Amino acid sequence: MSSTLIKCLNLAKTVGTVTFKSLLTTPQKQLTAWSPAANGGLLKCGMHTTSPVRQERLLEFFDDPKHWSENEVKVGRAWKTDELRIKSNKELHQLWYILLKERNMLLTMEHECNDKMEIFPNPERIDKVKISMDNLETVVRERNKAYHLLETGETGERPQRAVHNAFGLRCTYKSCEHALPPFMNTKWIKSRHLGYGGRAVHKFLLQYREKLYNAKRKAKNRSRNEVMMILRRNPNFDLELLKRKYSDVDIEKLRRSDKARGHFVPKVDA
Amino acid sequence: MSTRWYPIYQRGNPQLRVFLPNFWMKLVRPTEEQPANVVTFAVSTEMTKHDVKNYLEKIYKVPVVDVRTRIALGETKRDQTYGYVTKKDDVKLAYVTMPKTEAFTFPDLFANKAEQQEKEEKSMDESKAGFRKFLERNKKRPGTPGWYSI
Repeated sequence: MSSTLIKCLNLAKTVGTVTFKSLLTTPQKQLTAWSPAANGGLLKCGMHTTSPVRQERLLEFFDDPKHWSENEVKVGRAWKTDELRIKSNKELHQLWYILLKERNMLLTMEHECNDKMEIFPNPERIDKVKISMDNLETVVRERNKAYHLLETGETGERPQRAVHNAFGLRCTYKSCEHALPPFMNTKWIKSRHLGYGGRAVHKFLLQYREKLYNAKRKAKNRSRNEVMMILRRNPNFDLELLKRKYSDVDIEKLRRSDKARGHFVPKVDA
Repeated sequence: MSTRWYPIYQRGNPQLRVFLPNFWMKLVRPTEEQPANVVTFAVSTEMTKHDVKNYLEKIYKVPVVDVRTRIALGETKRDQTYGYVTKKDDVKLAYVTMPKTEAFTFPDLFANKAEQQEKEEKSMDESKAGFRKFLERNKKRPGTPGWYSI
């Protein structure tokens, strides 16, 4: 911490426009040293240690001016879950906003590049930020779940239940908040009486299930044929491996079948 | 996740607090001429005017006087060969007014682009010429390694 303070003091000397007090109160200062693998490139938003005039604040939506006409901008990798697990809640909260700003910056740059018919350099940066944000969310979610389980005995996740949809197929419904309780919501009550026992739905379901059945049947036949061809070409193949790979095929039965025998005269023991 | 759900607000409830907002905002070049203190943003469609104001004030520390929003219809396009219609996503545009003292002009990002490209082309031409020279030199002795002659 003290080293960063010294750095800031030096910066203040060189810049000359900012006071020491304003630097102390800048929350993002300590985040300048943050980057997953000494890359520094991914988290540029944390670099603004001076308090900018308003015009410059909106420039946070743009990349560093030295990258504006570049064809390639090199950055590090995304944050991993394991790295995020050892961070405190406060640090994760700060990092989320850094990533949010970074994503906004990249989206702005991409939009402008598309508008001007230019190539947006290294578009995978957006994916990296997205992966980082997803990982961060996973970690926060784990903590949230643990806390809820400890305090209430429930996960605190959004409740889900299995319902039948308009085609009579089972699907999961994720509950959400409503302004009206169910018994007062007449419109919703009416919509529930839509049956799915009609002729058209019956026909649809018949054909839909046929399609599912065909896919299953074809997959079964395919694996059966694959096993037969393997046995025909390699009579001494490792059966344990085959059993592990094709668990749904009766290999002992196939071994005895004529198709798996191969085009040679079998040896007959005298 | 419970904290990531945007709960419905009813009068009398405590103010909503979002800990990890998922909203995005893009600063876009205005299509029409605008006053210097007005900035155009493309934002997540679910964002309200209050969200835009809070987002800019709390995260970017930009003072906001007024926000107007509209949802721009995505372009539809008919396929030339098969005739089906494709549509781009709708996007919410937010016109943010800052105080009169502030000013923002959209920067020209590709001012140095032509210069840079020229430089690159020059170096490319040089290396091409070098390779041609190398081929010319080794024309009469095919298969000789590159380090053979100086």
